[in-house]
This record gives sequence, structure tokens and C-alpha cells, in this order.
Amino acid sequence: MLDSFVLDKDHLLPLLRKLGKDYRLIAPVRNRHGDTLFTEIHDLDKVEIDLEHQPQSSLKPFFFPQVEVLSLYGLDRDAVSGATWYSFYPQLPENRPTVYFGVRSCDMMAVMYTDMIFLQSSEYDVYYARHRENAIFITIGCNRPFANCFCNATRSGPFLEHGFDIQLTDIGDRFFVETGRARGVRLRKQWSYFFRDAAEEDKRAQFQAALEARGLFSRLVHVDLVTRILARQKEPTEILAELSARCQDCGGCAYICPTCTCFTIHDQALDEDRGERLRTWDACTFSGFTRMAGGHNPVDPERQRIRKRFLHKLLHDVEHHGRTSCMGCGRCVDICFGGVDILRFIEMVSENETEPEETP
Amino acid sequence: MTNSINEIEQAQVILVSGSNTTRTHPQVARRFFTAMDRGAKLIVIDPRRTRLARHAHIHLRIRPGTDIALLNGMMRSIIDENLIDDLFIQMRTENYTTMRDMLFGIDLAQAAAITGVPEKMIRRAARIYAQAQRSVICYCLGVTQHIAGTGNVQSYANLAMLTGHVEQEFTGVDPLRGQNNVQGACDMGALPGVLPGYQSVADPGVREKFARVWGVELPVTAGMTLLDMTHVPDSAASLQTATPAIRAMYITGENPLLSEPALNSVRRTFHQFDFLAVSDIFLSETAQVADVVFPAASFAEKSGTITSSERRVQLMRKAIDPVGDSRPDDWIVRELARRMGYAMDYDSPAEIMEEICLVTPIYAGMYHDRLDREWGVQWPCGGRDQEGTQYLHKYSFTRGRGRFEPARHVEPAEPVDSDYPFALITGRLYFQYHTGTMSRRTPILERESDQPLLEVHPEDGRRLGLRQGCRVTVVSRRGRCRFVVELTDRVAPGNLFTSFHFAEAPVNELTVEASDPVARCPEYKVCAVRLEEVETC
Repeated sequence: MLDSFVLDKDHLLPLLRKLGKDYRLIAPVRNRHGDTLFTEIHDLDKVEIDLEHQPQSSLKPFFFPQVEVLSLYGLDRDAVSGATWYSFYPQLPENRPTVYFGVRSCDMMAVMYTDMIFLQSSEYDVYYARHRENAIFITIGCNRPFANCFCNATRSGPFLEHGFDIQLTDIGDRFFVETGRARGVRLRKQWSYFFRDAAEEDKRAQFQAALEARGLFSRLVHVDLVTRILARQKEPTEILAELSARCQDCGGCAYICPTCTCFTIHDQALDEDRGERLRTWDACTFSGFTRMAGGHNPVDPERQRIRKRFLHKLLHDVEHHGRTSCMGCGRCVDICFGGVDILRFIEMVSENETEPEETP
Repeated sequence: MTNSINEIEQAQVILVSGSNTTRTHPQVARRFFTAMDRGAKLIVIDPRRTRLARHAHIHLRIRPGTDIALLNGMMRSIIDENLIDDLFIQMRTENYTTMRDMLFGIDLAQAAAITGVPEKMIRRAARIYAQAQRSVICYCLGVTQHIAGTGNVQSYANLAMLTGHVEQEFTGVDPLRGQNNVQGACDMGALPGVLPGYQSVADPGVREKFARVWGVELPVTAGMTLLDMTHVPDSAASLQTATPAIRAMYITGENPLLSEPALNSVRRTFHQFDFLAVSDIFLSETAQVADVVFPAASFAEKSGTITSSERRVQLMRKAIDPVGDSRPDDWIVRELARRMGYAMDYDSPAEIMEEICLVTPIYAGMYHDRLDREWGVQWPCGGRDQEGTQYLHKYSFTRGRGRFEPARHVEPAEPVDSDYPFALITGRLYFQYHTGTMSRRTPILERESDQPLLEVHPEDGRRLGLRQGCRVTVVSRRGRCRFVVELTDRVAPGNLFTSFHFAEAPVNELTVEASDPVARCPEYKVCAVRLEEVETC
């Protein structure tokens, strides 16, 4: 059973101010151009923390930056023999203790997924681990899901049952507070005077808010049905071909996706003798992602460009990890140029498909 | 664009010509797809079977440079089937009788022969375009970069006026501009004959207005076009009498030693300069031969506005400080002017914009503080308190009545023959931008597209023994260039296609210098070439 508390809304800012002394503070901030982005906060009085809009990007760039220096390299020379060779000097990122505040359930679930990819697979990613190791998450449940959200269908929201350090629920003039993992419990204890124990009516209010939120999704998305169809039936090649032909090849879906983790590595020269080895985000929709040195591409871009993307999210990850790696945040729906988003794919696959009875 | 980009979604028929829209204007192409989802019909006019052409209901695969013949055929067919908009023609246009008489002389069979498009398809396309209530024409450089570019554009205007498909929401004639701010550059008078806001230098009233603000006397005559400045004929240079030769040039953000046609002639012209200054963010091919190079700040390092195809003036805000010793363009120009003895005293781009508002009627309301609050404003906008203009020519054309300008087919400057049997079309790729000054320095873009590919039809490939990925030299009367073969039916047999992004294969060594006599826009889109030195692979 999770411990539950209450935090008055008036006390949120003072609490964050205290946390800001020990931690780097990152929260959704609405900038003067009307964009809400996860931003490092230096002065709480100068920014507007925005819990009303979905942050336009997820937390991915904080743990897996779009461009990251892996190492520096340079030409070394033996003074006596004159022999030269390249040496590499790994560059580890900083690991300052950080509180991520105002994280939505989908984004928290996405972090748990990327943890699995970078930390629990055969290759332990030291760069990701450094970014990740001193992070604390204060999440907030979504009382009102946004227009393209479907986390109810991907079972990654609108409220979390685990994975968070502290989860807040807006219940009017106060937040209902649940502590999850050990860091959250410690944090709550350290600043215990901000919190009071939740009363019965607070718990009822939280239950009510969570219940209502589930009824407020504007889209009915058949994720489960589609994962079953994909697992059981032949690949929907014609649907994939139709969508591939309309894909505009921008890679925006993979870049904005909180669970897309593909990258490529390249060297950038700084001068004649030195350079940086960088990794940058990559996307399976790009032709260069699969094209071989001789020019052959095992993926036909015209018909299969988006195949890997959708099957990975909705079929392969279900097979490997027991759940979709789509968290239902809906960001790729907004960003897609050609209307080739995952909702459309799910719709097309599930259309005209009545769930057949299981026959022996 | 007479329309706004969003209006395209509401169109019932979209006629796209000379535009590889999914590759060059993806944000416009997405509106095409949305419109088609709502039932719109798509007609594509293009010698290449582009991705968009494959989505089209009708693809009119014309021979390069035969737009006028096709459009005259379509218009003749529209008259034959009485699909013209009588009322519109009567109320809003002039010179219709000349147009009609010319069209009566058009033979559809002949139009089919010139264009290579079957007569039946010409009629069908004409019917679909004319019958719909809301038909939109989108065209791009495939229409303008021909010696008959002006005639091509006029013909599209004729077609729209003949059927009354203009002056209203969701229907009009929409040129898609080639770069993010080429519209803004034209608006600001980066054209030889006009001052900002298309105000003619020939108009004494206009000159006086600007002279009062700038405190200098303005030249009475129009300036020179880019093509004339970069292609000084040999004879004039040697005689040094007839044309006053250009002795010095200051180039900003342009790479003519790769982007201009007939590079031989450009190099010859540049050799005659006493002095060349270039400002650019990287050391481009042109900057490498300059006497002085100014390191310019990139778009992210400065504030200012850009104007999009739909005439929308948008504020672009500085994101980071200029890197290294680079400076914003306005700083470079102001410092140059100051050292030449003319003080340009502006504290900020916003102050420069205030002056633009003062002297440019179509930009009269484009103050930075206002643009900052809104998602840009579309010109014409007559003042701070006025809304912008969603679509042009409402109630009447800018010039009063729309004038029909009959045009006749003009053969490309360099037709193919037995020595040079292929028509080479040049254009752009998705992952590279122009001469690659920026995009070729971006690793993931370069990975996607790092070779100068030459599109060859598989039939031609088979005949000449070309294989996918082998190298071949393309030779024109002006130069030679080596490319990597891509066998694809995107091009028609007898046509070749390549891009001008790659300095290692500068296709403009091959292109012709010939240009449209009015606009002086070079015929980049077609020249005659042959293939040589096939590398066996």
C-alpha cells in the first residue's frame, strides 16, 4: 500500500524552492512564445511552471540527448620514433542530482522503458546511466487528457501505479501525494512539514479524479485489438505500403517519441588533428538507416518505410517485453506531416476487423 | 501565393505543375494529402513521375518545357466544352477576345504531339479543373526556370481567369517559393526594377519618397539582373565599351560559383573583377575566391523576419549569441556603409522594420512588437490596426482587371539532337539544400544523400549498359561532369535528372545560359547532353 499525503497548492512553490537548493530542478515551463517545454529552472520567480498543457517534448533529451559527445580523439605522436596514432578520451556527462517535476504518466513510463533498453540489455550504456543515476521524479496524474492522448489504451496512464518517486493528483486547492520508490519516500520525509496525512475525503477525491479522467479521453483507440491482430495474422503489407508512400521522410516521429532510442555515431573534426566522436538520434524511417555500403537497401523505402516503426512498437516489443513501447502520449500525431501517425495505423488495422472468437 | 497554405485543404481540385512537392514543400504536400482525404482530385503536370505524380488522379507527363502547349490545349478544350466562367471574364478581365482568337487556332492533336500527352488526357484534366468550384493551381520552378517562364506563368493565370478560379477563398494561383525567405527578399526590393514593396524605380514619386528617408538621390534606371551580372559576355569584356563592366561585387549568402547556370561563363566574369567580398556562414565555393570574407551569423544567432510563400511575415527570434567572430548581416552591412561614409544608424532589427513599415505600403503594419504577439501577418497589411490579407485579388485584381496574355509554345533553347540525345533536367533532393553550404555539413543529412545521383530510365540504362551505382560522365556543349547512375522510372526515357547540390559534380557546368527574356530566369530545367565514359561496374 502506498503512503498518501496532501500538499496544499500554496505550498508547492515553497517546496520547490527548498528542493532547488539541493537539486537541479526541471519542470514544464511555458515560455513567452506559448510553448511548454521541460526546462531547467534557475529562478522560480521568473518562470511560469505550466501544468495545464502537455509538454511539447518528453524527458528523453535529458537522458539521451539529441547530440552527445562520447569521446574526444586526437593524433598522438611518439617524440622519438615519430610514430603517430589516434587516442580516444571518453567524455562522461555530468550526473548532478536532479528533480524532474510535473512529469506525466506516459513520460514516466517511457523513462522506465528506456531504462530497460540502455541499462538492462546486454550492453550497459554508461552515458545514459550517468544522466539517469541521480534523478528523482515527481509526476502528476492527468485529470484532463489532451486531444491526441490514448495512454488509457496503452496502459501507461493517465495515473501511475508504480515507477514514480512521488505522484501528485490535482484535487482542487491541494495535491494528493503518493510516495512510491525509496527516493520519493526519503524526499517526503526530509520535507515532511510541507505535507499532512491524507484524510478519507482526500482519498475519495483522488479516486474520483482518476475515475473521471478515464472517461475524458476523446479518442477510442484499439491498441490491444491491434497487437492481437498483428501477433496472429499476416503482416498488413498493403496498409504499410499505403502509409509508407505518404510518409514524408522527416524523422519527426522518432525524434519526438519518448521511447525511440536508435542512434548513429559519427566523428566531427575540430581541426586537423583532433575531433569529437558524437552520437545523434537516428530514425528507422530514414533510408540511410538500413542502406548498405554497396547501395542495397533491404527495406523498400516506398513500401516499407514505416514498417519497422509500427511493428516495433506494437508487435516486437510486445513479444520481447510484454507490452507496447508506445506510451500513448500522442506527440507523433501532432508532428506528422503526412498523416502517417500511429493512430492512423491502428485505426486502419482495426477497421473492419471484428475480433474473431477464439476457436480451438 | 494568392491563397493561404491552409486553404489548400479545402480545394476540390489541385493542379500541381513543375513541383516535386513532397520533396521540396512537404508542409504544402501534407495539405494536398488532407484535401485528397476529403475527396479532392489531384492533377500533376511534370515530366518526372514524382511521388506526388504517383498519388495523382491524372499525371500529365509532358516533355520538358511544353507547359504552354499543354495549357493552351486545356483552355481550347474548356472553350469547346463551354466550361468557361462568362461572368467572371466579363466583369473582372480584359483582352479576352485576343485570347479566345488565339485559342481557336489551337489544335489539340498538335498540342498532344508537342507535349507527348494524349489528347484524351488533356481533355479530361481540363474538364476536372474547370468543372470544380474550388480549383487551386500550385506551381514551382519547373514552370519558371525555362526560356518561356513568363509565358508559362501567364498561361496558368489565363487558365485560372478563364474558369474564374481566382479572387476567392480556396481557389487561386499559388507559386511555391523556393526558399524560406525568397518572398521576403523580393518584397524588400531584391529585384532590379523595384524598391521595397514592388514600388517602381521608374516612378518619380516613389524615388522622392525614398530619397527623403535615405537622404540620397536614387538612380533613375533599373539595375541589372543576377544573370546579367554573373554572365558578362566575352565580347563586351574584351571591348570594354558597350556594357559598363562590373569591377567589384559584394555577395551575401549566395554561392553563384555553384548555383548559377553555365559556370564557365560565371568564372570568366568573376576573373574580371578587381575585388570580390562575400559574407556567408561557411567558406562556400564562392567565398574561397573572394578577396574579403565576412563571417556571417546563422539564422539562430540573429533576429529578423522571414516571409513565407503565403506572404506571411513571421518574426524569427535569436536563440543563441553569434558564434566566434561572426556578425549578423545587418551589422555587416551597416558597418560597411559607415566606413563608406554613409551612417546607417539603427539600434535593432525592429528599428529597421519601422522604416520598412513607413515606406512600404504592403508592409505598413508589420511592426516587430505586433509580429511577436501573433503568428505572423500576411501582406498586404495597411497599418498597425489592420488585419493581414488571407487571399489576394478579392473583389478586383491589383492592377484592376486581370489581363489575358496569350502565349505560344516556345521550344527549349537547346533541343536534343543526335550528338546530345538526352534532355537533362535539374532540381533538388530532399536531404540537401541548394549548394549544400549548410546541409552537406550536417552528418545525418549527408548520410541520407551523399552522392550526386543521375536518374536514368532503366530502358536507356539497358541500351547503354549502365548499371545501378556505376559512374558516368555527362557532357554538354559547355562542360562535363561525373555522376553516379540511379536507374529509375521517375524519369521518362530520353530524360535525365540530377541535382545541383554537389560541388564534386557541379551540374551547372552543363546547363545553358539562355534565359527568359522578361524575367531573365535561366533555363535550368532543360539542356541537351550525352553520356560518356561509362565506368564498368
